Amino acid sequence: MTDVAVSISHMNKYYGGFHALKDVNLEVEKGERIVVCGPSGSGKSTLIRCINRLEEHQEGSINVLGTELNDDVANIDIIRREVGMVFQHFNLFPHLTVLENCTLAPMLARKISQADAEKSAMMFLERVRIPEQAEKFPGELSGGQQQRVAIARALCMKPEILLFDEPTSALDPEMISEVLDVMVGLASDGMTMICVTHEMGFARQVADRVIFMDHGEIVEEAAPGQFFEAPKNERTKEFLRQILSH
Amino acid sequence: MSTLLNSRRFRNVAIQAGFVVIILVVVVSAVIIGRQNLQAQGATSGFAFLHRATGFELGFSLIETGPFDSFGRFLLAGLLNTIFLGMIGIVLANVVGLTVAVLRTANNGALNAIGTMYIETFRNIPMILQALFWYALLTSLPAPKQAYHLLDLAFFSSRGLYLPGLNVTGAAAAIFFLLLAAGVVASVCFSISRRFKSMPNVRRSRIRWTVLAAGVLLGIVALAYGRVPDTPVLSIPELRGLNIRDGVRIPPELASLAIAMAVYGGAFIAEVIRAGFISVGKGQVEAAHALGLAPWHVFSRVRLPLAIRAVLPTLINQYVWLFKATTLGIAVGFADFFAVVSVSISQAGQTLELIGILMLGFLVMNNIIAFVLNRVNKAIALKGTQLRV
Repeated sequence: MTDVAVSISHMNKYYGGFHALKDVNLEVEKGERIVVCGPSGSGKSTLIRCINRLEEHQEGSINVLGTELNDDVANIDIIRREVGMVFQHFNLFPHLTVLENCTLAPMLARKISQADAEKSAMMFLERVRIPEQAEKFPGELSGGQQQRVAIARALCMKPEILLFDEPTSALDPEMISEVLDVMVGLASDGMTMICVTHEMGFARQVADRVIFMDHGEIVEEAAPGQFFEAPKNERTKEFLRQILSH
Repeated sequence: MSTLLNSRRFRNVAIQAGFVVIILVVVVSAVIIGRQNLQAQGATSGFAFLHRATGFELGFSLIETGPFDSFGRFLLAGLLNTIFLGMIGIVLANVVGLTVAVLRTANNGALNAIGTMYIETFRNIPMILQALFWYALLTSLPAPKQAYHLLDLAFFSSRGLYLPGLNVTGAAAAIFFLLLAAGVVASVCFSISRRFKSMPNVRRSRIRWTVLAAGVLLGIVALAYGRVPDTPVLSIPELRGLNIRDGVRIPPELASLAIAMAVYGGAFIAEVIRAGFISVGKGQVEAAHALGLAPWHVFSRVRLPLAIRAVLPTLINQYVWLFKATTLGIAVGFADFFAVVSVSISQAGQTLELIGILMLGFLVMNNIIAFVLNRVNKAIALKGTQLRV
């Protein structure tokens, strides 16, 4: 069929009277890597949280992998199983070991046997280079390690799309690169990724497109080369000046 | 000398030694004065009365008691009644508490309102009034001949609730429940114990179920041994003449207390568990949803385990408190430990000894509850540093 992973058209989101997302249109193809940036409060997190229904949109339509995202609970379940998410604060389950964090959803939501779930979890933990911590609890790991476990946990569901919500902004500087390395590795394997991040080096290196948002609108959308060298919009120029100035 | 007085070590030891001496003096002089006063009144002290026959009867007892049995046996019966009522009351209060906490934290205004109304009603009426209310309600049910019944299997009458049961001796039933409880406790301990964490999960779950099954099977063996000869296996209550025969009779005294403990204690436990639900990080719940877990699994695998971990120390407090509420048995005439001790005091006159036995009994029972649950708390506590967002 189509190769469209996510298709958002004329989507509006309100928090009470506050217009959080204004007429957002976005098409993401399978295998595409998108970086979303913008000043804080610009709606970039809200945008990707709408894609797996952690936030509800009020107008317009969101279609994920051919399934329309609406009030239908079954649709939401289908989409959430196919869309993985990595959070700013990792959000691991602190009462479960690293391995249990990774096997919980595959066993319950995908009905995979425990043995198979553990085998595939160990494979993904190796991929994020942390298999030796499988029996530890999240609270016993560093921030960078926890975020890599969170990525492995999302991968264990074998999702088609991965959403990253500022995955490195809660990390100490020396741990950022270990997480970014894993993300670069995923990108080169052809994973469809939508990343909200301020890591402009990552954006330059892996993004197919960079999206700049401000006040709930998509202001500019361009390939990274053009985005960084010749931004068209004044607000984009201002934003880039601020974050690249030091 | 002044250097010795200034030494922190010496001061610590001196203060503690002084404290011990003061306590010893108080205890020893209390015992001496008490003995002198009792002797002056011509009262005998000591525990010889425990072997004397009581001359009264108990309304409800798990072991057989009669007026010719000793005070010792009566106290044991009272203790067992208290443990029996306490266990039923605490279990029911947990069921009520969890349900109401879920109602109050649900994303639904009507359910929230029901939960809030429940809490504000039953938390604010003293438990003794609630016990009397349920007792009055249960004893004003119709007489056995006009009793409400469910398919002729269960009867609700002013003389008690009659449920179908087995024709086994009381001791066999008690052993069955003990073995069942032992199986459950052993299997839970095995699951949460760190020592067996390294075992492969498949084997762990097999052992867990084996332990549980062993408890159930041994319990059934005990029931089979304790069968009353020449009777059918099932004992179904039926109306014969003016009274209901056979079946298991739950007297209104026991039922009213159990309901009061469940309703009143449940209101407090609900608030504790609700606090636990509120303390669960939004991020963990979102992550569970984002992984595609069904709402029931988000609740049972993430929200509930984290909530219980957050509030277990407070819950232990509530259990110990609720256990002591069994002493309200005296208000509706249930023969709990406190009631038996009270009657024994008026019959035997050994006030100090009996009060001592009562206090010691509650100290031991509540310390056991607290000790076991504190161990559980330690075993399931979250490991490492938790990020609070």
